[in-house]
Amino acid sequence: MNRKSPITKIIVFVVITLALLWTLIPLAWIVLSSFKYEADQFSIPPVWFPDKLTLENYATFFGNSEFVSSLLNSFITTFFSTVIALGLGIPAAYALARFDWKHANTIAFVILLARMTPPIVMVLPFFMIARYLNISNTYIPIVIALSFFSVPFAVWMMRGFFEEIPRSIEEAAMIDGCTRFQSLRRIILPLVLPGVSATSILCALIAWNEFLFALVLTGQNTRTLPVLVNMFVSERNIEWGVMSAAAIITVIPMVIFGLLVQNNLVKGLTMGSSK
Amino acid sequence: MESTIRIKRALYILPALIFIILIFLIPLVYTVSMSFLRWNLLRPDLGIRFIGVSNERLFTDEFTLYTVGRTFYFVIGAVVVELLAGLCIALALNTEFKGWKVVQSILLIPFMIAPVVVGFVWRFILNNDYGPIIHFIKQIGLDGLVSQPLLSNPNAVIPVLIMADAWEFIPFVTLVLLAGLKSLPYEPYEAAYVDGATANQRFFYITLPLLRPSVLVAVVIRTLTSLRVFDIVFIMTGGGPGTSSETLAFYGYRMAFQSYNIGFSSTINMLTFGIAIVFTLIYMKIIGGGKNYE
Repeated sequence: MNRKSPITKIIVFVVITLALLWTLIPLAWIVLSSFKYEADQFSIPPVWFPDKLTLENYATFFGNSEFVSSLLNSFITTFFSTVIALGLGIPAAYALARFDWKHANTIAFVILLARMTPPIVMVLPFFMIARYLNISNTYIPIVIALSFFSVPFAVWMMRGFFEEIPRSIEEAAMIDGCTRFQSLRRIILPLVLPGVSATSILCALIAWNEFLFALVLTGQNTRTLPVLVNMFVSERNIEWGVMSAAAIITVIPMVIFGLLVQNNLVKGLTMGSSK
Repeated sequence: MESTIRIKRALYILPALIFIILIFLIPLVYTVSMSFLRWNLLRPDLGIRFIGVSNERLFTDEFTLYTVGRTFYFVIGAVVVELLAGLCIALALNTEFKGWKVVQSILLIPFMIAPVVVGFVWRFILNNDYGPIIHFIKQIGLDGLVSQPLLSNPNAVIPVLIMADAWEFIPFVTLVLLAGLKSLPYEPYEAAYVDGATANQRFFYITLPLLRPSVLVAVVIRTLTSLRVFDIVFIMTGGGPGTSSETLAFYGYRMAFQSYNIGFSSTINMLTFGIAIVFTLIYMKIIGGGKNYE
């Protein structure tokens, strides 16, 4: 379909323009609000472009120890849950892709079901167990909960990447005297490295954005950014400017990383259904 | 020898499997057993009592049925809107006009944003006093539409939630459908061209049927993920006004963490889980079917 009729071109133009407006208007509003002085936040009618812009809101964010510690908590929980997801997920994905298992389908179903289970089903037992074990105020429950989401994800996604590598490569390595583990570590892993980085970014995205578990399982010292954003939004007098800055800070890392791996997004998010 | 190989192979998969089963099954068993209990943290005097399937009468309770209905209203609304918009955008991107990759990246951004932040963004721009959207609606003379703040209007609140959800997830549907479009075979189009089919005919008789697997994948995944909608409800409406935006997940949450009724909450969550299992099985069937082509 190389030749496009003018009508097609017009329709495409209209669709794309609408899509861009729909996407960008809310984003632009938040970005601009994060640079507005407090007085301009509350002007009626609302002003898109005030006369003066300020970094005040960001200064408030980084000047507030509660905000900064929740930013740190988000980094800590995201990092550890992603490490666990990769550590457990990569070998399992390799095994599912390479060995013939009698119950491979059952295993795959359990893993998929774990991924598809609504978090609300798990959150109450998690809460009760954490309380019973008296670890409510540590990072342990939230990190385990986040890993619970990302391990199945890592297994399914990495499995797809392993399946793309021809078996003959490692067979050759094993004939040359490598053990299977050596061939996995020295030959296969470097080949799937792009897949590993995409998987880890998406695992991080899941952990970073998770709200329900973070809301229930974190305490004052372990609170993550989404929980903090929620706390301040639920208040009657929302400080729109500071909250916009907090929102931008929450969003920026994941948008950057996410866009880096956008080509692998489909593979990961459809749990291996598309190639 | 044979058995050492089997043990070695099991070592690759066991850590992940044990982790998932422990973390998955223990809470699941816990939930199932709690659903048979009368256990209210606010009434320790009543204690924890086994009451069999009495909680399960919730399944036929009018309030529960309303909540299920409302949840499906949200799910179906969100999936339909996202599918239609996603299809239009995917088709437009698929013409590979100049700069389409940059446009695709921009359109993807909302999908990376934490749902909590999405909720905040929409709550902000729909704010009746300081939000630009409401101001715009008033300016073009549709005052009647927003005489009552949208988020406190019981009739408007679910459509507004659908809108926020669509903002976040249209990019996902677009991506899945675009990947589907790009993998369509070329031959049917050549044949159609030779036979003199019009663009409309090509779309309805070739593109849409061939795209069916991608559409199914997008629909089932979105159904499963919108079924669990919690974050945007929590932050935008808190289930309100009244309970008019309460979804199953929110109902389960409120029962546990606001009413402290562990038994009731577990029962509701079992219901949500049951619905999720049905859709997961459907999904397994779809992707299992897809495997045959490989």
